Amino acid sequence: MTNGQNKDRVRLAPDRPRRRDIVITAALGMAVLFVLMVTGVLAPGAYIGASLAFASLAFVYFLTAVTTAQPRGRMPVAEPARPSEDGLALTMLEKVSVPILLIGPGGRIEQANPAARALLALGAEGGLLSTSLRQPRVLEAVSAALRGERGTVVEYATLAPIESHVRAYVEPIRLPVAGPMPWRAMLVLADETSSKRAERMRADFLANASHELRTPLASLSGFIDTLRGPARDDEEARDRFLGIMREQTERMRRLIDDLLSLSRVEMNEHQLPVGTVDLRAVTRDVIDSLGPMAQARNITVSATLPETPVEITGDRDQVHEVVENLIENAIKYSPEGGQVEISADDDCARDRAEHPADRIGENSARLLLAGPPFDPRSRFGVVRVRDHGAGIDRRYLPRLSERFFRVDGQKSSPTAGTGLGLAIVKHIVTRHRGGFSVESEPGGGTRFTVFLPKPAARAETATETGAAASPAPVSPGQA
Amino acid sequence: MTTPVQGHHIVRAFSEELEQLTASVATMGGLAESLVSDALDAIAARDSDLALDVIQRDKRLDTLQRDIERQIIRLLALRQPLASDLRVCIAALKIAADLERIGDLAKNIARRTRELNEAEPLALSKSIERMGRLVQGHLHEVLDAYASGEIGGALGVWQRDDDVDEHYNTLFRELLVCMAEDPHIVGPGAHLLFIAKNLERVGDHATNIAEVVHYAVTGTELLADRPKGGSSGTP
Repeated sequence: MTNGQNKDRVRLAPDRPRRRDIVITAALGMAVLFVLMVTGVLAPGAYIGASLAFASLAFVYFLTAVTTAQPRGRMPVAEPARPSEDGLALTMLEKVSVPILLIGPGGRIEQANPAARALLALGAEGGLLSTSLRQPRVLEAVSAALRGERGTVVEYATLAPIESHVRAYVEPIRLPVAGPMPWRAMLVLADETSSKRAERMRADFLANASHELRTPLASLSGFIDTLRGPARDDEEARDRFLGIMREQTERMRRLIDDLLSLSRVEMNEHQLPVGTVDLRAVTRDVIDSLGPMAQARNITVSATLPETPVEITGDRDQVHEVVENLIENAIKYSPEGGQVEISADDDCARDRAEHPADRIGENSARLLLAGPPFDPRSRFGVVRVRDHGAGIDRRYLPRLSERFFRVDGQKSSPTAGTGLGLAIVKHIVTRHRGGFSVESEPGGGTRFTVFLPKPAARAETATETGAAASPAPVSPGQA
Repeated sequence: MTTPVQGHHIVRAFSEELEQLTASVATMGGLAESLVSDALDAIAARDSDLALDVIQRDKRLDTLQRDIERQIIRLLALRQPLASDLRVCIAALKIAADLERIGDLAKNIARRTRELNEAEPLALSKSIERMGRLVQGHLHEVLDAYASGEIGGALGVWQRDDDVDEHYNTLFRELLVCMAEDPHIVGPGAHLLFIAKNLERVGDHATNIAEVVHYAVTGTELLADRPKGGSSGTP
């Protein structure tokens, strides 16, 4: 019924429905009076008097409706739109994904859209800006704007725990209120992380690529010169040289592949991955695919996996790459006929995820190479890869995830990697808001641990608001 | 820390003063953080001007500390805070002192950077930067914990100070080896050693702040021994 009325209101002249309602009410009143008279409660004289009064009232209203309806034909469209104009602006502000804040006198946050509340982790509104945003330059600009000075643009960067570059636009707004402090400051925080990152990565990529490609290129050109000169007619040397050249080009190809993969990972490092991955299935896949490589060197790969799938939030291809890099490394740095042990674990708290209870040796060193901000509620899916190789000296541990870093003596080994594997792992893990730790003992082997957050923690916060709608929180992994 | 003090006092000015105090300390923390971060940038980019800027901005940190101390004394004298309010005041006092020390250490790093820039670039400044970023991350997390009153972050930093020590020990050994190999870099190497030591001290101050935050929020002290990295015989 309300629906029909609304439609009428839009289509008809503005006043008519209201007045028609009055006529209907009058008629209803007359009907009630008529019933009362029929049942004998009311005297006929009173009935006629009252109904005449109702009828004349209705008639007067009807007349005014006829006279006023015509000239104000345009009003209905404007009227419902006007009160919602402010509301519309507010709704738009709420939906804008750029954090926007209004700062009042004394640096108090008066308004903040959801994006701003999420970025600064604001609870209830009305806090002080300096408590949530500790950037001295932004605060200075805001207090200048509150004094009515010109707006400014400030850039700032936070490098921990996750790197981000933000450009803050501060603009003074004068409110039409009386009192000593009519100035407010509008603060818009624009995220520029990706462009900054792209800029720096181009520079890094060029530097790394040119530096690392120089060695194989130099040897290639050396062999080409030899083949054109002294070894031109030496059948045997030519074969051998071509073999070496093939190896060198292969190495260059691997290097370029890794560099490209690294820059791809870096590019979207601050975008959270969506989707869920079964860590157990990925680990199995990797073990199967690396089987031939292990067999070739007579290495046994044993896996202890849980009985149920280990669901984590992540990008399947990237998680696959992480596990593959770790297991490949373990096989590579195991002695011939050695052992590689892989284990997976589900639903671990941070401390247990980072390092297991047992140490691999009495004097083993442990180090967290990358870790998410500490949150006691988060739970992780864990993969650990343990080899029994030479182990890594304590002093090299912090440098493991550095690009092109190789522990001494590895450079000359025939299976030398590009030095990018663990850097890639670190970047992927950081993107997933997971962690990456190492434990090693020289002579006793090395154990790498990767832990990635489970979707449950995020589903929990999401259902806090919509708990009433969905009685049983279903983890996205099951859906 | 805003949560426990907000809107629970009969005298509203008291609540506001406590909130203002927390905000001042957070501002000071932001400044200290930016000093450390800029000092590290100055090392990485060999930027002497930025280093000079850090040295000059440290004065502002000292002024802020004096302001905060004055605020606290006023609060104690006029309001006689009890229980969690008292803890908030004492915590602010202690944290301000720690932050002031962090500022001094950043200033010292900046001074040394200016001298380092006169010598040839060393490969090891990359390691310094990595250690610095770790320390900076710890500082950021404890200050976040202070502002939000959630002790999870503070506890996390408290337990992970040995990561900083591990970095420091690694750097120490590497520097010693490099200096033994090439006497020419003993000068700049010594500066790097002190810079690393300063960063390690900043990490310790961050741990101190974590302890204070824990105390202010829960009222109990973190008594258990902090996990220590392997002993290495470095000073």
